[in-house]
Amino acid sequence: MNPFTPKVRAVMRREFMQRVKTKWFLITTLGLPVLMVGMFVLVGLFIASSQDQEETVSVGVIDPTGRVADFLVEELLADSVLASRVAELDGATEQEVRAALGDSDYDHFFRLPEDVVDAPARDRGQARIFATNNVLPTTEADLRNGLRRALLRARLSESGLENVDAEQLLRTTPIGVVNVTDTGAGRSQDIFQAISFAIAFLFYMVLLIYGQMIIRSIIEEKASDIVEVMVSSLRPWELMLGKIIGVGAVGIAQIGVWALVLTVATVFGLGTAATSLAELGIDVTAFAIPWGTVGAVLAFLVLGYLLYAGMFAGAGATISNETDAQQVAFPVTMLIIVPFIAVQGVIGSPNAPWAVVMSIVPFFSPLVMPSRLLVTNVPLWQSALSLAMLAAFVLLAAWIAGRIYRVGVLMKGQRANLPEVIRWVRHG
Amino acid sequence: MSTPAIALRGIQKRFGKKTAVRDLDLVVPEGSIYGLIGPNGAGKTTSIRIMLDIIGPDSGTVEVFGSGDVESQRGRIGYLPEERGLYAKMTVIEHLIFFGQLRGMKRADARAEALRGLDEVGLTDRKEDKVEALSKGMAQKIQFLATILHKPDLLVLDEPFSGLDPLNVDLFKGMVLERQRQGATLLFSTHLIEDAERLCEYVCMIAGASKVLDGRIGEVKAAAGREEIAISYEGDGGFLDSPGLVDRVADHGQYVEVRLRPGGDPQELLRLAVERGTRISRFELVEPSLREIFIEKATEAGLSPEDVSEDDVIAA
Repeated sequence: MNPFTPKVRAVMRREFMQRVKTKWFLITTLGLPVLMVGMFVLVGLFIASSQDQEETVSVGVIDPTGRVADFLVEELLADSVLASRVAELDGATEQEVRAALGDSDYDHFFRLPEDVVDAPARDRGQARIFATNNVLPTTEADLRNGLRRALLRARLSESGLENVDAEQLLRTTPIGVVNVTDTGAGRSQDIFQAISFAIAFLFYMVLLIYGQMIIRSIIEEKASDIVEVMVSSLRPWELMLGKIIGVGAVGIAQIGVWALVLTVATVFGLGTAATSLAELGIDVTAFAIPWGTVGAVLAFLVLGYLLYAGMFAGAGATISNETDAQQVAFPVTMLIIVPFIAVQGVIGSPNAPWAVVMSIVPFFSPLVMPSRLLVTNVPLWQSALSLAMLAAFVLLAAWIAGRIYRVGVLMKGQRANLPEVIRWVRHG
Repeated sequence: MSTPAIALRGIQKRFGKKTAVRDLDLVVPEGSIYGLIGPNGAGKTTSIRIMLDIIGPDSGTVEVFGSGDVESQRGRIGYLPEERGLYAKMTVIEHLIFFGQLRGMKRADARAEALRGLDEVGLTDRKEDKVEALSKGMAQKIQFLATILHKPDLLVLDEPFSGLDPLNVDLFKGMVLERQRQGATLLFSTHLIEDAERLCEYVCMIAGASKVLDGRIGEVKAAAGREEIAISYEGDGGFLDSPGLVDRVADHGQYVEVRLRPGGDPQELLRLAVERGTRISRFELVEPSLREIFIEKATEAGLSPEDVSEDDVIAA
């Protein structure tokens, strides 16, 4: 039998339209992408302007050995650090260097130790940056890299090799981790961990926000005395189903808008994004998630929403005012928070025994299994078993919630206690 | 006899330790105006909820239009519960269409009927307003329209006239009676027995979860047998204090209703009054009121005064 009777569709339509038309929906749906795009633009502007006004830092190089300074100045100038040798301080003590800095035009002095070239195994001296102000991290990095290249060139030249390109000599190749799947396609690990966590986080937020919305919608009907007319017109399960799907559709619409904005933003920014990722050595085509995984993840999310929404609806039916809402929602909320916390560990070790168990046990599987599916190859029997058990629990939860709902929606005043609720479930 | 609109047999319903409905048999003939009367808390609302399959009975059977599956008859029923609300954030027209759809109407039909109904109650210009912006009287009109929008064959109204804007009472009575004249069955509950007495063909009286009596009003009164004497007088009322002749006296302020003992002669009572010099301005043999019959039957059935709850019954 098709559960989406015309009455269920009417309730769905009402729940959906009422919510979509609110200011809250407008603000969160359109506001969030605007906020995100705005933040990107701001960050972009900030970076651009800071690049424009990048100050050139002047560094005085002090090299008591005299064997590295020339190479170092050359390397630093190549990195646009305004460096020059300060030979008159070569023999100066640290005290004198400090004193000289204030009188000089240099931002920093970079003083190398006596043993800089020989670098014995232990008790090595330290190269020091003297500064009156903070040392920019970029400057520190430039000095570190410049020194490494200069030392390489100095040592090579002393062993008879002149004019080497130290950069070329030191250049290595980026490292990526590739998981070889059954199909033989490679997957990059990091990005899937990120996607996996992002999906879990989004789903977690959706469950908490929309679960509360379902509870509030049920209480509102009780509080405004409308529920009796409702249950005289349609079966309680029809009302409950219409609510759950209608509220869920609001969530889908909202995420849909976000996804659309994200896609548009990506398409417009694709050129830049792909290039910058390629520079980092990441191949965009390696992100393609197999369709089977996409389908499985969606199945878990949809069934998971139905399971939790059904429990929220059952919880909401036992109360009739807002103040009790937090209390009855708490056990259901815990069932969402626990797997969400677990997800962070699951992403790191997706095949640990506890992760496998949690990904199969209903209540936890809707959050844990999608995370595993994205970061590892889950054996088919595990996903099949997990999905089957989840589906069974959705039906069970719907049945129990329906029984509670049937009696509960007409109850007013005092919150029903647990034995009472159990009686409702047993006798309907 | 045609299939009754509603037939209840042997209905029992308990909530925890409290019995809400005890062994109720009830038949509402099709096309009739049927009153369910009794004090608050007597079990009227529970009985109605059982008829409409909103809650299930512990035992007994329910048939609506001859069908044991009330669900299949939903579209033919219009129910206005005692506690009636509206969705505050919906517009008037959307609200009416929504309820039309819940009763099985198509959206377009529901819209057409809603517009017609709004025109009838004079709220056409408010159709795009949110419900929360309406006055109480207007909201009551919307609740009523939502109940009869789908032209139900059975109208079930729980305490329909209590708390109503006085201007609306006549409007709604007119609209409901119009439906009834077109063949619909009308069942309503009230704790105001006088309301039922004026409107109904049939009544069922409930007190303390049990049926006290039911039937056609005329038959109920005939079965009660003895007539009563309505007397208005000035001066000494001592003539009423004659235990051998007078069974009971109900004082209504402007007049008293007197029941004589079996075989008592009204003429004898009149003679006693005249002897005492009491001025009699009215001395009329009347049928007993439904209220009198109700109280008597409830007392006979051994119900305590709380069960009959005089306050509710008398308050008119």
